Amino acid sequence: MVQSPRHFIYFLLLPLAMVTLVVMPWLGEHHPALDVILRPSADDLDAMIFWQIRVPRVLLAMFAGMGLSLGGVVFQAIFRNPLATPFTLGVAGGASLGVTLAVFLGLNLTILGVSGVSIAALAGAIGAIAVVYGIARATGNISPNTMLLGGVAISFFFSSLILLLQYLGDMSDSFRIIHWLMGDLSRASVDTVFQILPFIVSGAIITGLLHRELNLLSLNDDLAASCGLHVERMRIILFLAVSLMIAGIVTVCGPIGFVGIMAPHICRLIVGANHRNLIPAALLFGGIFLTLCDTLARTISVSAEVPVGIITAILGGPFFLWLLFKKARSLS
Amino acid sequence: MNNPLDMAIETNALSLSIGQHRLLHDVTLHAKRGERIAIVGPNGAGKTTLLRCLLGFISSPSGAISLQGKRLADLKRQEIARLIGYVPQQLADDIPFTVIEFIVMSRYAHAQSGGIIHRDPEGERIAKQATERTGIQHLENQSMSTLSGGERQKVNIAAALAQQTPILVLDEPSSHLDPKQRESIQQLLGEVGRKSQTTILAVTHDLNWAAMDFDRIIGMSHGAIIADDTPSAMMTSENLHRIFDAHWSVQPHPESGHPIVLPAHHYARDL
Repeated sequence: MVQSPRHFIYFLLLPLAMVTLVVMPWLGEHHPALDVILRPSADDLDAMIFWQIRVPRVLLAMFAGMGLSLGGVVFQAIFRNPLATPFTLGVAGGASLGVTLAVFLGLNLTILGVSGVSIAALAGAIGAIAVVYGIARATGNISPNTMLLGGVAISFFFSSLILLLQYLGDMSDSFRIIHWLMGDLSRASVDTVFQILPFIVSGAIITGLLHRELNLLSLNDDLAASCGLHVERMRIILFLAVSLMIAGIVTVCGPIGFVGIMAPHICRLIVGANHRNLIPAALLFGGIFLTLCDTLARTISVSAEVPVGIITAILGGPFFLWLLFKKARSLS
Repeated sequence: MNNPLDMAIETNALSLSIGQHRLLHDVTLHAKRGERIAIVGPNGAGKTTLLRCLLGFISSPSGAISLQGKRLADLKRQEIARLIGYVPQQLADDIPFTVIEFIVMSRYAHAQSGGIIHRDPEGERIAKQATERTGIQHLENQSMSTLSGGERQKVNIAAALAQQTPILVLDEPSSHLDPKQRESIQQLLGEVGRKSQTTILAVTHDLNWAAMDFDRIIGMSHGAIIADDTPSAMMTSENLHRIFDAHWSVQPHPESGHPIVLPAHHYARDL
């Protein structure tokens, strides 16, 4: 743990995030000239690629990474489980099922400029949140374990339905579904950036204001209650707020895995578990991490882009093992 | 009848059942302000359930509970936390906060709540006072996960003290500690009780501690209060037999004269 978490956040992560935002749009197949970018003319292809495609894509990656990382921080705290991720309670499963159904049924409508696939993803994610919340309410036991088990069961159920639909569907539908399920930022545009921005901003404000509550929830339910926290109510508020934020991200980017588990754990090792520092650190780190992964994804191969979910997963798997080994060694 | 304003804790005919299982039966308990009360009884007697009812963790017992003259059912969670502090039996050993962070966190209910923005300007100072009172100033900046069981329990007590409540409930605060650490925790709690007007209610299996450091001992069995008296009147072989269904002899302590419980020797009955 560093001596001053605040210095790490404001003098290292924050400038690094700025540099990432400024530098990453320049990387790629085309290397536009500086004066073309700064004085774009309407028909200049390089300037259009830069401003209409790369800048929105870098911004989308930054915001999505922030949200996924924040989701991990909150879920790991409220369920007191290091393996909890923003997708543990079926948000991604619900969104994926929504998209699979939309593709399978051939829904190609667009409402208010938002595609049918996005609407289906959002509906699926909100449906999953409602089911898990309903399970927790109905059992009268809003304990971390009940919610986790309920969420994991729902996720598996959704996965099997998705497999069934893929089995019944044709090859091109299956290809579209699989591509979406990998997590992908290639649909980035100015519109999609503005589509997820309100979700991220409201999620960050709500969790930032509730950092003390998150600290207490991460300890022990009885102790938190004896300190004056309404444990069940707070857990539900945070679960709903974060799930909605994640639903907003998944709708645009698909289920990008591992950011929500890697970024919070690395930040916890560096700035400690106090959410007052952990939330800003995880926001910045998650944003930087996903932006770098996505830049790698779109520049690594000239012939075709690699979905960013594959890059995060390739980095995430070994990281996870490293974390387990580290933990095992510190216990022995 | 006691003046209700002098009463820190009052329960009236408190009963609680889950399904066919009766957890508490007609528990009527009065604790005066500043009184130190030990609750003893076999496992499953309802001691911890009673504490959980007083802390407001169990929302549906029948009967009434009042803390400092206020009906528990009418109080909000934060109001309860300003009246009654809680020292659990044992904390997980992987708490990722420093000692001072942990103690400041316990003052959550004291926020000057202007909406959702939380301000507790006195928090750090009061937390430091609590570490002084419990003799753990030197641990303030250490991580909780590096502490011994006894040190962790002192931090728990400091956190409960920083909560500045007139009532403190403790659930077997020293049962998992070795004899030396147990003695130091019991000594600390004795000092806290003597130096303040805090009403203390402690569940314990340590009968000799109950006899030595408390004003009253309440014996529970099968969810009901079996005996409730001063240590010298309460600690008799007959009462202990009624509560624990065991044959123990009670002798005066050779130095202080407090009753102490001697377990019967396993082989003595065969002789």
